[in-house]
Amino acid sequence: MKFLDLAPRFVFFTGKGGVGKTSIACATAIHLAEAGKRVLLVSTDPASNVGQVFGITIGNQITAVNDVPNLSALEIDPQAAAQAYRDRIVGPVRGILPDSVVKGIEEQLSGACTTEIAAFDEFTALLIDGVWTQDFDHIVFDTAPTGHTIRMLQLPGAWSGFLEDGKGDASCLGPLAGLEKQRAQYKAAVDALANPQKTRLVLVARAQAATLNEAARTHGELAGIGLSKQYLVINGVFPEVEAAGDPLAQAIYQREQEVLAHLPGVLRNLPTDHIELKPFNLFGLAALKQLLTTQSNTIEAPDRSADAPKFNAPSLSSLVDDIAIEGHGLVMLMGKGGVGKTTLAAAVAVELATRGHEVHLTTSDPAAHLMETLHGTLDHLTVSRIDPHEVTEAYRAQVLATKGAKLDSAGRAVLEEDLRSPCTEEIAVFQAFSRVIREAGKKFVVMDTAPTGHTLLLLDATGAYHRDIVRQMGSTGRHFTTPMMQLQDPKQTKVLIVTLAETTPVLEAANLQADLRRAGIEPWAWVINNSVAAANVSSPLLKQRAQNELREIEAVATRHAKRYALVPLLRDEPVGVTRLTQLAGTLG
Amino acid sequence: MKKIQVFDPALCCSSGVCGTEVDQTLVDFSADVDWARQQGLPIERFNLAQQPMAFAENAAVNALLERSGESALPVTLVDGEVAFAGRYPKRADLTRWLGEATQATPDQAAKTSCCSGAACC
Repeated sequence: MKFLDLAPRFVFFTGKGGVGKTSIACATAIHLAEAGKRVLLVSTDPASNVGQVFGITIGNQITAVNDVPNLSALEIDPQAAAQAYRDRIVGPVRGILPDSVVKGIEEQLSGACTTEIAAFDEFTALLIDGVWTQDFDHIVFDTAPTGHTIRMLQLPGAWSGFLEDGKGDASCLGPLAGLEKQRAQYKAAVDALANPQKTRLVLVARAQAATLNEAARTHGELAGIGLSKQYLVINGVFPEVEAAGDPLAQAIYQREQEVLAHLPGVLRNLPTDHIELKPFNLFGLAALKQLLTTQSNTIEAPDRSADAPKFNAPSLSSLVDDIAIEGHGLVMLMGKGGVGKTTLAAAVAVELATRGHEVHLTTSDPAAHLMETLHGTLDHLTVSRIDPHEVTEAYRAQVLATKGAKLDSAGRAVLEEDLRSPCTEEIAVFQAFSRVIREAGKKFVVMDTAPTGHTLLLLDATGAYHRDIVRQMGSTGRHFTTPMMQLQDPKQTKVLIVTLAETTPVLEAANLQADLRRAGIEPWAWVINNSVAAANVSSPLLKQRAQNELREIEAVATRHAKRYALVPLLRDEPVGVTRLTQLAGTLG
Repeated sequence: MKKIQVFDPALCCSSGVCGTEVDQTLVDFSADVDWARQQGLPIERFNLAQQPMAFAENAAVNALLERSGESALPVTLVDGEVAFAGRYPKRADLTRWLGEATQATPDQAAKTSCCSGAACC
């Protein structure tokens, strides 16, 4: 594996959610630790599952992984970091300032930007030399989903410049203003990131166009901020020996080889490794140790010749029948990135539109390829996209044109400076989001939401807005509806949790469901996507994977979901109206 | 030299662009503060969400919070005395204090606008 050779101090894994960053980061950390290096494995994903992978509880402090000598791990939980930050600010004045005032401060500090910044602050401390990290030879980062990662990595550059300029007294650094004394730390962190002797970035993708395009985008954006030392890992490549004699396996193999032969130009010259698809789930130490070995099928499955399971599970189309009864409403597809929310959202929208309903299909996923998926148009269907970058620019322009209209040039400069803060994007995305969901009173709005962590931040922003409105309107006694109330009403909003029939994705989906329930939102159904068990297969590798899926499908059907649907892995990529209809309707 | 201290309510940022709705008052006041500083008037701003200790340690501000809660904010102190509570000074006020600061004649520009002093219209 090229990306393991002469690994520098910092190794970052990035890529679209679900490509296997966590597994590869864990396997890399194990590999380095077994070579005698002292390794710290860090997860900054808001939905981290590194602890689950090792079967231990890690949390917000460096924890030794007992089963692997020399390896420690740390999960930076943005929510916990924000809580610690709040305690630091609010603790000293509790009992000194009036309780109502203290409560107001906490309210203000429960927003999305506090969470983001508090997590970033912890992340920075790991990149500079200090007592925290001096005992480690390598620090391996399993980063958050890509959109989030990019922002996080861009922040040191933006903020260091901001702090040095000293323009507008850094008023809109928000919570970071309190951390200004650490400017040297941010500078050092940026320098470490841009230093190829210290930092290696590994782009992780699957042999699928969407994940490779995402890797190409990330490559450009991160090279732009000086992270020039980049490697490419293509994970889960279907092995040629397994392709013979099974039409589905053959189709998957050919589809992947076709994609690999036409890599995006900027990726072609990167040092590249392929990791073969394994017949086992990447869960637990034994499986992880096998991941980076080059020989295939080192774990011989006992029942590889067994017949693929056959059973009848509800189709997506049958779920849509129930959704259609209301005649209108908001349908949100949620789940980790890479589980196929975009495709399934398109399939649900197409199903509703072909039943004659007015449908607006929209996405807030920063890495979305929705437009690419829905080639061709359909009556009753409109498609739009909430592009975080675009809506932020539009929001800035609008604020400058209205609120900044009467300011002199110096005043405009101050306002422009403030509009560059990280909070602005959250607000802009949230506003675009609430504009769209208002339409759901008249027609169907189908949303393919951003990956889990981002989704939760988005919901948190909605929650903050809800509390704002309640505070403003509570005394007037007028009737009002907030976006949060709309999300909590199952008549108006149906949340479909999307997952894959694999251990980690199902665990992650269950965690997401728990988070949603805490926010008062009850998921309406689960959709298991890309199921091999629901397809007809004869390849031993696929049969073994189908067999592995059964336990997970069973868990979803009986323990997690109120209702569910199973969507088969298809021979052809589900692009366009016809194939999307097949996806929803018939198996095989 | 006059010393101006402004105690803001809990804000994400002092221009208010981080709220769910941008507050024109905050946008204007931030621009005014920036202008006044460039003219040489020392103005300090404290954000309740970021520096609550400054509020707790100032007897005048703490007393106002005890009596009226967060709605007492923003509070403006001139040389430690409450000049405004519940609203921000206008550019005219800053101009007046600038004049006083440079000429050191405290009463010269007083009562020129309807909103001067602690009594606000």
